[in-house]
Amino acid sequence: MIRYWPALLSVLLSLGAIAGYYAFLRVPAIRNHPGLYLVAFAIAAVIAGAATWHAARWPNFVTLGLSVVLLILGGYFNFVLARVPATPTVLRVGEPAPDFTLPDASGAPVSLASFRERTPVVLVFYRGYW
Amino acid sequence: MTELGDRGVQILAISPDPNEKSQELAQKLRARYRFLADQDLAVTRRYGLLHAHGGHKGQDVARPTTVVLDRHGIVRWLQLADSIQIRPDPTDVARAVGQLPQ
Repeated sequence: MIRYWPALLSVLLSLGAIAGYYAFLRVPAIRNHPGLYLVAFAIAAVIAGAATWHAARWPNFVTLGLSVVLLILGGYFNFVLARVPATPTVLRVGEPAPDFTLPDASGAPVSLASFRERTPVVLVFYRGYW
Repeated sequence: MTELGDRGVQILAISPDPNEKSQELAQKLRARYRFLADQDLAVTRRYGLLHAHGGHKGQDVARPTTVVLDRHGIVRWLQLADSIQIRPDPTDVARAVGQLPQ
């Protein structure tokens, strides 16, 4: 009797990696190490490859195909689509940040200089379009 | 990040989003952020943080960046993302703020 538990394990690992990544998006340690899902896909592919090597049956082939496709798509997203090019930032540790004035959510102008000698400031630039 | 607000640190979140969108987000997060609208990305560009055509519809966006300034306006800690998947880790930001000279 041929056992398909390695194939099942491979599929569960792949799907678990996807589910886990989304489930833990709020946990910085998971979110900021997106390469972890690629590691899971790669292990899943190795397991499926070994299973196919031992028994060239269609469930093993399908599992191998799935994990390889996920590995390629995940790699493309992580290394190509999600990349942000280096920008010629003027920010240097130890140097002052350039002043600016921008409207806040109520439309009132806020200038960076207005916090000087009063409070530390954390500036968060984000991509927007929520 | 809300914890930082409690410590009297001002958090300014800058994006090209119009104000109504940011207001919505502020309510959703219940955060002590002040959202600033850099709608033409002039400040983002001046800071050298423009990610041209980086948005999901090909529009210009900011490179995700977190900067900690001491009370004299000097940059003390800086994180520039090289992937859109990376977001500031509140633990790192809190540590950087904690190490500021009083």
